[in-house]
Amino acid sequence: MDKCPRVSYFSAMVETATPELQPGIIQEEKDKSKSELEPGYLVICWNDPVNLMGYVTHVFQTVFGWARQKAEFHMLQVHEQGKSVLPRESMEKAEHYVHQLQKYSLHATMERDE
Amino acid sequence: MKLIRATKNRYHFRLTKWEKNLLVSVLKLYLRIPPAHQPLSKVARLPDQESSQSLLDEALAEQRAENKKQIQQWLADPRRFCESEKGLRLSLSPAEVEWLLQVLNDVRVGSWIFLGSPDERRPLQILNETTAPHLWAIEMADYFQTRLLEALEGERSA
Repeated sequence: MDKCPRVSYFSAMVETATPELQPGIIQEEKDKSKSELEPGYLVICWNDPVNLMGYVTHVFQTVFGWARQKAEFHMLQVHEQGKSVLPRESMEKAEHYVHQLQKYSLHATMERDE
Repeated sequence: MKLIRATKNRYHFRLTKWEKNLLVSVLKLYLRIPPAHQPLSKVARLPDQESSQSLLDEALAEQRAENKKQIQQWLADPRRFCESEKGLRLSLSPAEVEWLLQVLNDVRVGSWIFLGSPDERRPLQILNETTAPHLWAIEMADYFQTRLLEALEGERSA
């Protein structure tokens, strides 16, 4: 099974300051990168009634490496409450998980934890 | 379709010719989910959200194009389904099981989207020549997904 390798599009998201930039702008870029590294993003899975419960459990186990009990807990949350908040991550990691979940056709998004 | 043996590296299934034809028909329906269907976020408050969304769409499109190509190659292999006394045998690696689950769920979810995403509050109203093939695809994908998940579950609990 694919153990969540980094895909090419993530590398494009890393911003690099160039020497031509003004010091203030460089500082802004650094601040932005720092905030993107902080675990301020929630990965959320939303209920699609068409998905099989066993399939959703399997995907959670595969993508997050969770034990069956934890995966089932979140699957039931999705099923009964319409959504489940999965990990709280940095922006880059949250994007990675959303991509993995969407690869399995699950309805997943990331939202800022405010 | 029934799991007859599982080893560390292979799952061996037995299936009838009729089941094989159904599986092939369902796999040929891939890809069903419309492109750029899935948003990265429901609330537009992410930094560089537009470019992040377009990168996600590109990554998924690339992945799906690869899946489509893989299905064609997978089905074209004349040794894919081996004749045996009791029907046909299908041998899958764990990676192939994972890949088939993804492909089948695309068919399932995509067909459901074609039907207007019905749910308890908005059930499907009409069964006709337009909607019936989508319902068929959902049920068939369900059948094979369930067999694959049972095989994985048996392996995990063994």
